[in-house]
Amino acid sequence: MIKYILRRLLGMIPMLLLISIVVFSLALAMPGDPFGGEIDPTNTDPEYIERMREEAGLNDPIPEQYVRWITNFVQGDFGKSVKYRYDVKDLILDRLPNTVFLGIMSLIITYIVAFSMGMYAGRKPYTKMDHLIGGFNYFGLAVPSYIAGIVAIYFFSFKLGWIPYTGSVGVGLEPGTLEYWISRFHHVLVPAIILGLMSTASYTQFLRNDIIENSRKDFVRTARAKGTSESKIYNSHILRNSIIPLVTFLGFDLVNLISGAVITEAIFNYPGLGTLLLDSVQSRDYAVVMTIVMFSSLLVLVGNLLADILYGIVDPRIRLE
Amino acid sequence: METVTKQDNTKKMKRGTSPWAIARKKFVRNKIAMISLTYLVLIAVLSFLAPYITTADITRVNLSSMGLSPSAEHWLGTDKGGRDVFTRLLYGGRVSLTIGISCVLIVTIIGTFIGSVAGYFGGKVDSVLMRFTDFILNFPFLIFVIVLNSILFRHVDGVIVLIIVISVLSWGGIARLVRSKVLAEKENEYVLAAISIGTKPSKVIMKHLLPNILSTIIVQMTISFASMIVAETGLSYLGFGVPQGTPSWGNMLSGAREIDVLQGMPWVWAPPGIILVLTILSINFIGEGVKDALNPKSYR
Repeated sequence: MIKYILRRLLGMIPMLLLISIVVFSLALAMPGDPFGGEIDPTNTDPEYIERMREEAGLNDPIPEQYVRWITNFVQGDFGKSVKYRYDVKDLILDRLPNTVFLGIMSLIITYIVAFSMGMYAGRKPYTKMDHLIGGFNYFGLAVPSYIAGIVAIYFFSFKLGWIPYTGSVGVGLEPGTLEYWISRFHHVLVPAIILGLMSTASYTQFLRNDIIENSRKDFVRTARAKGTSESKIYNSHILRNSIIPLVTFLGFDLVNLISGAVITEAIFNYPGLGTLLLDSVQSRDYAVVMTIVMFSSLLVLVGNLLADILYGIVDPRIRLE
Repeated sequence: METVTKQDNTKKMKRGTSPWAIARKKFVRNKIAMISLTYLVLIAVLSFLAPYITTADITRVNLSSMGLSPSAEHWLGTDKGGRDVFTRLLYGGRVSLTIGISCVLIVTIIGTFIGSVAGYFGGKVDSVLMRFTDFILNFPFLIFVIVLNSILFRHVDGVIVLIIVISVLSWGGIARLVRSKVLAEKENEYVLAAISIGTKPSKVIMKHLLPNILSTIIVQMTISFASMIVAETGLSYLGFGVPQGTPSWGNMLSGAREIDVLQGMPWVWAPPGIILVLTILSINFIGEGVKDALNPKSYR
């Protein structure tokens, strides 16, 4: 197992290098100074620009520039943001907790909702409630997150006044206090539900079908014949088997969360990495864009690896070679 | 004796229904799929005939009719620029559907080509092509589309840029699918027979392998049609899709990013939202209907 993980991790390096080359070329294709963020864009004096370009090494051969950029990057120096005037690293560390918080909340809500609905529908299939849940799933899969978000804001924020429509925390609250955390939960709740909507629907459907399929198997009949109570059959015998494929989805979830967070954060004006990325693309803050793209690619790779590893752990029949 | 053989002959003359005819019959009997298909065709026809249905100018900003609520003159009201929402909805459908269809076609062509070549030749070709596919699949789609789009934007026409960028980044799934199907299909004897009489690889793929995996490709096309439309509208909503001046469902929805529009003018964003959700729902239903109809094991 450890050998397998190590080999996969080593296999990620060429992939990351390739991605970094693509990201670097993209940055070269963009106008302006993509790397340092040192050149003041308001100063148009050609002599000044030439001097700064020379200093920043932008007149060096391209491979040399690439090597310098990637060396700095690996060492944790991601350059400077033009717009915010400080290190990209600090900027990202500043926003990261918000996105992570959103992601974790979304995962928790997804799992709770999907499990309760899927287990209910799987235990009582073809009832009214099951059809209702099925209908919800159809909608969950078809409604794009931004439409769900718009509708949620319109009704819950403007019509009912239940939730705030912007930001991640109320104004003027002291970090660490109880009110601060309540406010953060209050702000993150609806975005997290919206972010997890699609996976909630697909998990529920998956769990339901798997439970129905498993409930026809021999081990269930045996358990019934021995007089095991229905709830025990469903909650421990069947569920344990149905969870196996679900666990592997966690890795793919990471991937979905990255793209999903960009849109969800934009809808709710939630100050996370997604909104930072959009702002930076718009204001041509390339150092930030490149760093976020690199890290999200890394996360996708890690997510895929995680899915494979989890698969091996929960189902020992699968040998990871 | 004579008569019996004659009867037998006439019986043989009547041909059995082809798999496609069976599938068509199954699909027609599927009520939800048929309703969805009718809806989709209706939307498509209305959108593509937009210039003949409506006369209003879609691009001109009309200061005298800004932000009007729905009325007899403006069926769905007007937006902040005084443009008729109903007219924009029709024109928007044209753009959104065109982008969706073009992306699906490009993605299917690239994916089928790469997948079938990788699956048929195997070995080195396969591993190189699949590495490449993995590489494409490993890009965080949305983020790369946004970055690419902002680079290419203003160099080429916005809609075409969007089609290219979305397509280039999303053929990975279909390539993998086609490859796995080709791998399974090429083990059959008829493929071996075709190869042994000296059929060219390109002909084996085109004439023998692809027709047999066509049903899988068609189902995949339907599903990806929905996701392409979602991608376009999502990007336009964020302001990184279709250029602002061109109406598309996503661009109309992006009006809701302004708080006053979201709060006070629901007629601007609700119609494209509803139409979009219904379109995606119906595409999903059609996809399921097609999948069911092409599955020889299902009886309906």
